[in-house]
Amino acid sequence: MPQIPTGIESALQENGCLQENVLIVLPCDRNVEGGYAESYLLLDREHLFIATSDQVVRHKTFKGFMNPFGRKKSLKLPPGATNSKWTFEKVSIEMIESISIVNLVASGLVVLKSTEERAIAAFTNGHMAQAVKLTELFNKLKKNEDIDPLEFREDQEHSSCPKCGMIYPEEGRKICPKCMKKHAVFARLLSYAGKYKLSITFIILFMFLNSATGLVIPYLQGTVLFDQALGEKGNFAGKIGLVILLIVIFRTLSMVFGVIFGVINAKMAANVAFDLKSSVFEAMQRLSLSFFQKKQTGQLMTRVNNDSAELQYFFVDGIPYFIVNFMNIIGITGILLYLDWKLTLICYLPLPFVLLLMRVSFPKLWRLSWRKHRGVSRMNAVISDSVTGTRVVKAFGKEKLEIKRFDKANRSFSGAEQSFNKTGSTIFPILTILTQIGGIIIWAFGGWKVMQGDFTFGKIMTFINYIYLLYGPVQFMNNIVNWWSYCMSAAQRIFEIQDAVPEVAEKPGAIHLEKVKGEIKVNHITFGYEPNKSILKGVTMTAKPGQMIGVVGHSGAGKSTLVNLISRLYDVNAGEIQIDGVGVKELTTRTLRDNIGIVSQEVYVFMGTIAENIAYANPECTVDDIVQAAKIANAHDFIEKLPDGYDTIVGTGGHNLSGGEKQRISIARAVLHNPRILILDEATASLDTETELQIQEALETLIRGRTTIAIAHRLSTLRNADYLIVMDAGKVVESGTHDELMAKDGMYKDLVRKHDEALQLKGVG
Amino acid sequence: MTVDNGIQTVQEEKAEEQTDMADATKIVYLTTQNCKFSNTDGNMLAVQVEEQEHPVVYVHCSFPHTNRRNYLSIRTIDNKEIGIIKSLDDFPPDIIALLEKHLELRYFAPEISKVIGIKEEYGYSFWDTETTAGSCRFTVHSGRTNVRLVTEKKLLITDVDGNRFLIQDIEQLSDKEYRMVEMCM
Repeated sequence: MPQIPTGIESALQENGCLQENVLIVLPCDRNVEGGYAESYLLLDREHLFIATSDQVVRHKTFKGFMNPFGRKKSLKLPPGATNSKWTFEKVSIEMIESISIVNLVASGLVVLKSTEERAIAAFTNGHMAQAVKLTELFNKLKKNEDIDPLEFREDQEHSSCPKCGMIYPEEGRKICPKCMKKHAVFARLLSYAGKYKLSITFIILFMFLNSATGLVIPYLQGTVLFDQALGEKGNFAGKIGLVILLIVIFRTLSMVFGVIFGVINAKMAANVAFDLKSSVFEAMQRLSLSFFQKKQTGQLMTRVNNDSAELQYFFVDGIPYFIVNFMNIIGITGILLYLDWKLTLICYLPLPFVLLLMRVSFPKLWRLSWRKHRGVSRMNAVISDSVTGTRVVKAFGKEKLEIKRFDKANRSFSGAEQSFNKTGSTIFPILTILTQIGGIIIWAFGGWKVMQGDFTFGKIMTFINYIYLLYGPVQFMNNIVNWWSYCMSAAQRIFEIQDAVPEVAEKPGAIHLEKVKGEIKVNHITFGYEPNKSILKGVTMTAKPGQMIGVVGHSGAGKSTLVNLISRLYDVNAGEIQIDGVGVKELTTRTLRDNIGIVSQEVYVFMGTIAENIAYANPECTVDDIVQAAKIANAHDFIEKLPDGYDTIVGTGGHNLSGGEKQRISIARAVLHNPRILILDEATASLDTETELQIQEALETLIRGRTTIAIAHRLSTLRNADYLIVMDAGKVVESGTHDELMAKDGMYKDLVRKHDEALQLKGVG
Repeated sequence: MTVDNGIQTVQEEKAEEQTDMADATKIVYLTTQNCKFSNTDGNMLAVQVEEQEHPVVYVHCSFPHTNRRNYLSIRTIDNKEIGIIKSLDDFPPDIIALLEKHLELRYFAPEISKVIGIKEEYGYSFWDTETTAGSCRFTVHSGRTNVRLVTEKKLLITDVDGNRFLIQDIEQLSDKEYRMVEMCM
């Protein structure tokens, strides 16, 4: 049951709106005058209630922030809203002709139509999906259809983090970035390294040895060298040669251990990154087409590449150096405290200043480097823009303008680079000096102590050497928190792809049909990629086995969407599609892929030989099959003409095929696939008339004996269709045979007329 | 496909097509002389152009970022253009106010007057701002084109839901504000 806003229940009740009867609540958070408001639309089986507060909302919190009015699932009014004056309006559903949502820029307007149209409320973009639900529900009520209350249930309990109350920043991604269990992500990440337990053990061992041997050196170089060997005291009195030898040995050992750990680590890190990348790529292949269309391709590439690179650094540079540096800090501090705790405390005096300076100056440096980075990207964009568009630039004679454009970008980049370098070359020397102050203090204080005879010179040298060893690790640790959270976000994004559930998933126990007859029934389907933007509205059509159905209409009429739904690249929102009397949602994905072939306008040839491309659907086929398929597709002759024949490498970086040649290869691919149902989606739209005729011939051979759904702009390609459906704005407006439609004098006839005229203009007709 | 291709018919149709084309390219300009705007009881915009009554129309800006007052396209819900207003200022004040109200309805985007804080974390930037519509807190995806300059000075910010916010002139921001905003651009 949807929650009605607390605080106004009683007032709603007085107006006849009972909590238990309410089917849906739509918060409308905008007023029509240009500000935020507090109003609600509530729908029960008989009435629409409009509750409006006169209070102007001055604090608005969108997704990604704490729900300011508590963590509860219920809709709570903002403080003060309960005291404001509310007006309630009750409209009987019988009196309403329709409720529609008008898409404004970044918001929606609810328009109610009774005697005339009336704007009753407005809401910001985040409530669009809920608003669409309200209109759907209203339409069902109006038609007296059955209502599944679950279908319209608000998803409120899932809209904000149960722990901290943050409204999830991304709809459908139930992850609260604040409460994301970083240690859980980290543990999962480590599980990738689990396979390499032995390597890890060795890495840690050698790192430890590397640190330990490294830490001996300053002691040898200080106390042992100066106080014992040169000072003629203790175990090493006078044995300068031995001490030097020891220094060399420890340095070499430290280096060798370092090299060994580096080598093992590099190998393991590359393996881990490999595992991550391949598991993400595998996971991506499993997902539905809609996932790829929601996330831009570039973003996906970034995820696979950058995020796994990020994690690789995490393994190579992160964890090991964290351990090494941590051990070093502890080790050095321990040794220093052991040597002289008072001097140690004095040495650590400049440390807070160093950290402070880093805290203050690094963000600035980071900002400047960001500015520089933006400058580079802008400059590169200008370069690539004008190189790609050279023909246009030349044709319009706009070289000077391009130079100017580049000059502007170049100048701003140069400025950004200068300020970055200036700041960098100021901050780093200051940091070095500050760091060295530690050493100077030791010299000063220690020197004084030496003169008093309290300290030995060697001890001072030891201290100084250790202090210099300390600053590197401290600097590393300073940045570790940011970097850790950055890495965990990258890991989280990668795991998200792995965990994503394909939207179009095969049902458990789905039916597998080896060979379908090819009967297609599309029953009253509705579909849209986004809420309130339906592409198909109540489309119905039937194709008998072996029939060819032509689908015509203007671009944007929903033709391609229809065929995408038949092959179940997406799932319909309402209605059903059946193949051989079985709903496509009940069929296995293999049944669909094996029995449906698509030849579309966008032809894609993969990297590889022509033969491999033709055999894409069935790599096991014989050479004979490939040649046969090419022959049927009218591709054989042009392939034979190529110097490398069927072995010609095509695709990125390979031989360039023309549009018609690519299309024939894709037809050959479909021939070899041998599906029962063939979808031709504007297969010849991008080709010139002559090539089209050649392809047409190939297609006709291909179509024989299959159920074919052909979409075409050019009506001449559909002359053999058994039946035609004409689509406009997502609806089937006419259907019948060519003759029937021509007799109707409707949209089809109009399209044919325009088509023929266009051919005449081209001088083809 | 058998279509009547008789020469005469084609010529007639061609002539018709030409006038169609001429109509299609001809822009109808709405002026105080040829149209009458009004606000309906249902708070919708209505317009009467010469003899024809359009009970519900919407105002679209041709240049929403660079020029809000010129080239306003008056369209029906089916995206059919009724006509274009070349300049809003040619109309009397009451009509200007009415059209501005409908423009504001369509292009509602609070203008940020003060940036209180921007926190960048976990691939999002969390904005805390004062705007012309009160204080607003919203979240923006990092690393995409969600914070971009639409003119030399005007910055458009689109949050995770697609809600829009504007900074009219980034040069008017204080140094501190600019530093925060810059990191998201």
